[in-house]
Amino acid sequence: MQFRRAHHLTSLLLAALLAIGASAASRADVLDGVLEVSSAYVKPEQGVFQLFARITYPVNDDIRVALKDGLMLNFDLDVVVSRERRFWMDETVAEYTLKRELLYHAVSDRYVARDVDSPNIDQRSFATLEEALEALGTVDAWPFLLSPQLSANRQYRVSLRAGVRRGRLSDTMRVLLFWTDGWHRESEWFSWSLQR
Amino acid sequence: MVPAALRRLGTLGLIGLWVLVTGGLLLLLALSVQNSMQFSRLQAWILLANVIALVAISVLLARKLIELVRAFRAGVPGSRLTARTVAIFGSLVIAPLIIVYLFSLEFLNQGIDSWFKVEIKQGLTDALDLSKSAMDVRMREYARSTQLFANRLADSPPSNWTEATDAQRVESGALEVVVFGTLGQVLAASSAGVTATNLPRASAEVIAAISAGSLYWSLEPLSEDDYLINTAAPIATGPGASEGRFVVAQYPVPPQLSRLSEAVQHSYSQHYNLTQQREGVKNLFGMTLTLVLLLAMLTAIYGAIYSAEKLVRPVQDLIAGTRAVGKGDFGTRLPLPSRDEMGFLVHSFNDMTKRLRRAREETTRSQLAVERERERLSIILARLSTGVIAIGHDLVLRSANQAASNILGANLEQGVGQPLSALAGENARYARFVGEVTERLARGEEEWREQMDFEPEAAGARVLVCACTPLPGDEHAEDEPAAQGGYVIVFDDISALLQAQRDAAWGEVARRLAHEIKNPLTPIQLSAERMRRRYLAQMTGEDAQILDRATYTIVQQVEAMKAMVNAFSEYARAPDMKVTKFPLNALVTEVADLHRVQESAVRIDVELDTHIENVEADRGRVRQILNNLIVNGVEAVENVPGGHVVASTRLESVGSAEYATITLTDNGPGFSREVLGRVFDPYVTSKPKGTGLGLAIVKKIVEEHGGRVEADNRPEGGGRVRVSLPVTDGSRQLVARERRAEPRKERA
Repeated sequence: MQFRRAHHLTSLLLAALLAIGASAASRADVLDGVLEVSSAYVKPEQGVFQLFARITYPVNDDIRVALKDGLMLNFDLDVVVSRERRFWMDETVAEYTLKRELLYHAVSDRYVARDVDSPNIDQRSFATLEEALEALGTVDAWPFLLSPQLSANRQYRVSLRAGVRRGRLSDTMRVLLFWTDGWHRESEWFSWSLQR
Repeated sequence: MVPAALRRLGTLGLIGLWVLVTGGLLLLLALSVQNSMQFSRLQAWILLANVIALVAISVLLARKLIELVRAFRAGVPGSRLTARTVAIFGSLVIAPLIIVYLFSLEFLNQGIDSWFKVEIKQGLTDALDLSKSAMDVRMREYARSTQLFANRLADSPPSNWTEATDAQRVESGALEVVVFGTLGQVLAASSAGVTATNLPRASAEVIAAISAGSLYWSLEPLSEDDYLINTAAPIATGPGASEGRFVVAQYPVPPQLSRLSEAVQHSYSQHYNLTQQREGVKNLFGMTLTLVLLLAMLTAIYGAIYSAEKLVRPVQDLIAGTRAVGKGDFGTRLPLPSRDEMGFLVHSFNDMTKRLRRAREETTRSQLAVERERERLSIILARLSTGVIAIGHDLVLRSANQAASNILGANLEQGVGQPLSALAGENARYARFVGEVTERLARGEEEWREQMDFEPEAAGARVLVCACTPLPGDEHAEDEPAAQGGYVIVFDDISALLQAQRDAAWGEVARRLAHEIKNPLTPIQLSAERMRRRYLAQMTGEDAQILDRATYTIVQQVEAMKAMVNAFSEYARAPDMKVTKFPLNALVTEVADLHRVQESAVRIDVELDTHIENVEADRGRVRQILNNLIVNGVEAVENVPGGHVVASTRLESVGSAEYATITLTDNGPGFSREVLGRVFDPYVTSKPKGTGLGLAIVKKIVEEHGGRVEADNRPEGGGRVRVSLPVTDGSRQLVARERRAEPRKERA
């Protein structure tokens, strides 16, 4: 009797996990397409490390339609600089996120891309989604690290990860919609050793 | 121990704190849901706090429920009542809560859905179209103006373009007018803010449109509710031909139009955002409502359990108290729960147990008194010289005292609970006694009194005075045999009393004989001797012979009578002992030698125990004992061929006293059966010459010394008399005390 009850409970848990997995799998469809960090490098310039990167974001009709209906998308580029250690886990030296957003401006019929963290909110508009995504996926000379943050004779590693998610959601709502929201996707980490 | 009032105050404080915390959390949650922007950062924490509160009350409730289920299964008193009360309270609380919850949820969902009706979206779409139309009209006007300017430039030499560009900017109200060459270089530009290093560049889409020979215009949204209209037109070099030069002009949008258009844009975007979040909002409100419901419901159930336990606790106390009383614990006092009816009930219970305790104490005291009386009675019965036995109607022995065992010669105290007849064994005296009792009771005689004479035994005849009386009892008291009634039989051994009476009578007779007979004997003897002296010499012949024989006979008989009277006198003489310490064995040898000297064919032997040294006694009287015993033995074997008398001594210990035992045995005919029980009585003798006072005097002297004497026949033939004397005067005193304590102990 006890065994049967335990078996029943295990079945329920398994079913719940499968349902969650199926939900997580189905939500990726709306952001279908290539999402990757295509290339990236760092160029030191007068004690400041500047990041140059090219990110490919997915493009499909679902995104296009949703943007035209009023959806705003956030494009986050996570940068992690870590000191490599041989016998222990790497130490994170610096961690930044470049935040950009994209929306469709219905009155002007143009796609507006913004750098959220720039002082004057650098904003540009594009006639097509492809142009807008190309602009969003281009990072040129973004200063993200100062040389005093690094120690001599140490090896450092830079990792990049791009993510797309729905914007204009409160934290609570984001938590509530976590399992049902398909507008959230992240790329694999793109890493390389920092050359000085 | 924490006082009950303080504990109650603490409990109320905890309940109040819980209500305040949960109420505050729920209020914060409601506020955060209503104004999510303000509480955006705190909303998750508020939600988490509510969930923690929910988990806390769930854990507490689960613990309570597990305890309740365990108590229910274990059959703990009051658990069923608690479970029933909780079920009733819970049902009364849960049903309305769930109904309200379901209605609220439905109402909430419908309300949220109504926010996103089709009419609203359509209105927003129409407003958007209107804004776009207004912007489109404006853009077309500016595009045409740019086109006209490009046409004018085509007709004028390039040297005039800078001037024309300035004129065009001023005339059209443009913010910026720039003429680009074929390679994208700036040929002419007019702008208030444009410097040589900050010249505008043509965007890719502008170049693409110009390359296609098309007119270009677009609306550029700026931040802070502002717009720009970008226009571009190719500069024609001939009909339908262009060398790739073009004009780009930027125009401002009137602020009113910009603001309205931006408002429409914002509303449109916001509506979509809300539409996308509709399910989330529903979930948020639903979750909030569910949290409120669960918190309220679980708190209510917990409160129901708490209240039920508090309500049932006095009942449990009462049950426990009742069980304790059932087990005989009347000291149970229950705590007073309150001053209501339950408190009155508990008070009554406490009062009842108090009364029961007092009653039991009274009963215990009575029982102790009865027990004490019984013990006292037992002691009295044990010390009583009279035998007392109690038997049931079935003749089963219920109780007996020590004296009864001693008198009947049976261990009755060990036979309690057994039938009287089963204890007889080979004890003839006891068998006779039981026979008499059984016979009388069988005849229906319940109250009687009788004197029973038993056959003479070694120690003499036994005479018992026996009385039987019925005992009252309850015939229904089957569990208590002692209470079923029966008979009590009281008996006393009066043998010694009778013997004493006989001894006293004989003493009196002896004293009177000595006094009445001895006095005239001397004159008779003197007279006879005087007659003999005076007249024998004067007579002759036959007269002289007659006188001589007669006077001789008189003198002889008077002498014999004197001896008899002296013996009687000795017997009746009052005890006046002179106790000294002397060697007994030497005395025995001395007396035996005296009798050996006399001419007799009887052999007298002495067997002495060397352990006996000195004894403390009246030497003269012991000598008389030995003399009488040896004379008695010699006379018994006088006519027996090979007559043989043996006087032996032995040291014996009986209890705490030491005895020197003198035994005289002979090989004569022994004591006849008729006199065996009375050999120590005066004037009982089987010999023709005996006075019958020898053994009676022996017995008297022995009793004076605190000793004992027995007479019986040896199995191999012949008589045997055994005299035991205390070795020391202390032993004699001790024996005297013991005999006073057990006066019925058999004596010689």
